[in-house]
Amino acid sequence: MLALRGVVAGYGGGAVLQGVDLTCETGSITCIVGPNGAGKSTVLRVVSGLLPCSEGEVLLDEERLSGRSPAAVLHAGITQVPQSHALFPQMSVRENVLMGGFLIRRDKKLLAKRYAQVEALIPIVADRSAQHAGNLSGGQRRMVEIARCMMLDPQVLLLDEPSLGLDPRSLGSVAELVHRLHDDGVTVLLVEQNVRLGLGLATHGVVMEGGKVRLTGSAAEVMNHPEIASLYLGGSSAATAKAAESAAPGA
Amino acid sequence: MTGPDVHTRRALLDRVPKGHAVALLAFLVLALYPAFRPYDTYYQTVLCLTFLLGVQAVSWNIISGYAGYVSLGHSAFLGIGSYTAAIIAERSGLNPLWMAPIGGVVAVVMATLLGLVVLRTSGHAFVIITIALLLAAQIVAVNWRSLTNGSDGITLDLPPWSRDIQNLPFYYLFLGLFLLTVLLSAFIRRTKFGTGLVAIREDEGKAAAIGVNTTRYKVTAFAASAFFIGVAGGVYAYFLTFLNPVGAFTILGSVTIVLSALAGGRGTLYGPVVGAFIVGIGQEMATVYGGSSSRVLLFGVALMLIVLFLPAGLLPTVEGWWRRRHATDTEYQDQAGALGAGTLQVRDRELAAAVVADSVEEAAASAASGPMLEVKGATKAFGGITAVDGADLTVQPGTITALIGPNGSGKTTLFNLVTGAMKADAGEVWLDGTRIDGMNPWSRGHLGLARTFQTTRLFKSMTVLENMVAPLPDARWSTMLKASVAGNEADRARELLEFVGMSRFVSQPAGSLSYGQQKLVELAQVLMLEPRLVLLDEPAGGVNPSLVGRIVEIVRDLNRQGVTFLVVEHNIPMVLELCDPVVVFSRGKAIAEGPPQTIREDPLVLDAYLGDEWRPPVETGDELTRENGDGSASDEPQEVR
Repeated sequence: MLALRGVVAGYGGGAVLQGVDLTCETGSITCIVGPNGAGKSTVLRVVSGLLPCSEGEVLLDEERLSGRSPAAVLHAGITQVPQSHALFPQMSVRENVLMGGFLIRRDKKLLAKRYAQVEALIPIVADRSAQHAGNLSGGQRRMVEIARCMMLDPQVLLLDEPSLGLDPRSLGSVAELVHRLHDDGVTVLLVEQNVRLGLGLATHGVVMEGGKVRLTGSAAEVMNHPEIASLYLGGSSAATAKAAESAAPGA
Repeated sequence: MTGPDVHTRRALLDRVPKGHAVALLAFLVLALYPAFRPYDTYYQTVLCLTFLLGVQAVSWNIISGYAGYVSLGHSAFLGIGSYTAAIIAERSGLNPLWMAPIGGVVAVVMATLLGLVVLRTSGHAFVIITIALLLAAQIVAVNWRSLTNGSDGITLDLPPWSRDIQNLPFYYLFLGLFLLTVLLSAFIRRTKFGTGLVAIREDEGKAAAIGVNTTRYKVTAFAASAFFIGVAGGVYAYFLTFLNPVGAFTILGSVTIVLSALAGGRGTLYGPVVGAFIVGIGQEMATVYGGSSSRVLLFGVALMLIVLFLPAGLLPTVEGWWRRRHATDTEYQDQAGALGAGTLQVRDRELAAAVVADSVEEAAASAASGPMLEVKGATKAFGGITAVDGADLTVQPGTITALIGPNGSGKTTLFNLVTGAMKADAGEVWLDGTRIDGMNPWSRGHLGLARTFQTTRLFKSMTVLENMVAPLPDARWSTMLKASVAGNEADRARELLEFVGMSRFVSQPAGSLSYGQQKLVELAQVLMLEPRLVLLDEPAGGVNPSLVGRIVEIVRDLNRQGVTFLVVEHNIPMVLELCDPVVVFSRGKAIAEGPPQTIREDPLVLDAYLGDEWRPPVETGDELTRENGDGSASDEPQEVR
């Protein structure tokens, strides 16, 4: 179980997160939605240790993570797929994915085994293994980034806008991938602007606003919340009922 | 003056007024010091050398701090200035001080010639060439005996004034030059030229895309950074009354300059000033207490410590610490798409005429005959992969054309070919009857071509407002030397920011905004260019659904006023609603083109791109739902209007 308790954090100008309480059950898929600048990505940065929190704590299975370095958080089994492209453009796809296994680089057998697993899970790794990552398109990079994170066989996977820049078909393969990870028992925490896709994927939904959590619940509950429906899914209040209705069957 | 105006202006100038006050006070103290202690020749000499170092560090900061092109041979200009003044004085019998400005001119000429050769490209060649300049200058000074007297050096006459006030004229000359250099640096930072230099440092490709003539900017900055050093060189020659090649062109001089600027804070106005005092006085103390050879050791250790513990320099570090101690509250007001904020407020007034220049409308009217953009047989390969493969594309004026296609089909590469960020291997690009494929990116920008990027590329250390005024709509020198945040333009910038709902963030550094917010600012930024054709690369990616509606609305508004759009987007409901015609790309070329309704039913498109989800639904109710999907927030503003 991943939990945030009263987390306050910022980038120097002021507190972006103003007391965030959040719990992700083991094996769940939690999706954070909210306006631009609400602090969604900041939550992921705090969890992965990239940004220290000034107050509050982050717990993984009752073990305190806050205050640890990003590398230590990685050791604890949490990996993050960042929002913008973070592949090494001059390295091949294979090298990029192997970089994800940096922590287990001494155990060659395990490394090879994991690589084979990742290859099976995400076909593009095998298809393009020798190509420079810099020559891939946006969607292909996304898949390789996820593949890289899977090299450590994480307990918790943080996904920052997995749908960003993906064409409708790749969107489907990312969704499928998340489902498969879910079946393997991986806890997933994702941030998504494509609310329909995000909540459709998730088991739990969280609405963030102004650096605080405004609403939590099962994904269906959040999706059916009238205000959410009106804001993100269906437009005007007149369309709310219709949108809520249509949202119910699930995407 | 109204309240909010004062407020924003104060926020804009940041802490600079306080900094100016401290600087002015320090200047007065230094100017009055000799009046109280006129016979302290030793301290005056130390200060003279510190001022000289200050002139050099502040000048160096113009090219290497603002523009980010590190020069490791900047002391060469001091030597060039010294030799110029000394040689002319020696031959003509005039006082070398009168010749000092000529030294500055010669330094500028040298810098311009060198810059024109090496600054055409970006990259590391510049650093190496500057070191080569220093060494070459020394070799020339040693070997051109008829001019420079070789390694014997040049001896100048002693100054005619009384020995009692030996140092005072030099003290004030160096102090005056120091002041002038700081003023030049401050002036440059205030102009669009200075903003452009910072833009080059942050992201040269993006700077070129918004109309900054990067070559001219860099060469001008290099020349400007040479002038006062050259002038100071003339004064320095007379101060020493003896010149030789080894002393005039020493690499240690360059190292001192770089060390000063790094210690104080590279890229800031006062950083190099503070650094010059630290290094200047520090090295004198090292010489006194540790012997002259300890200086080199001290430089090495100091450089190491700075790189390790103060990578940004003293001033920025202190400033950052101060800001953390005095954190402002982050305010979350009227966030678009927040709960309880109600549905998005739709603007009820028209986009002001100021946003779209008259020329745009005229151009749109006159160009109604031919296509706005025409790409013929464009080809671009990366290694073995052909990203764009003989693509043809035509965008008619006044349309909002969509370009859709699977990931990796070459859409963004095509954008890069059109805007000039990449050179095509083959093919032609025509903008409104002008062939543009041989032009520089900034020239294309001046013709009215603007683009946004898939992953935002704002200048992260600049404020949002500075980002907004960074684009240059033309190539005139007068535009370049205008104040960067001039009234008229700043008003337009604020208005555009208001349109995208980002007006509250004008004085925040762009890097502190979230991804979606940066996306909106970038859209507003390119509109500052008064473009005729805007290429939008995934404008809705990472943007809250309720803001997608606002983007759609802005695009529609501008389109109505004559701006043509070419949009790459994966948000299919938005594309179907906003764009006509739709061009579908696959494997580097267009496979289909037509109105949105035809495209979404085209079996070829369904196979290559949309996938099974978009196959004509069995039950019609399902289709309705989908129409009201992600993009449907964009329906809503229309209804309200």
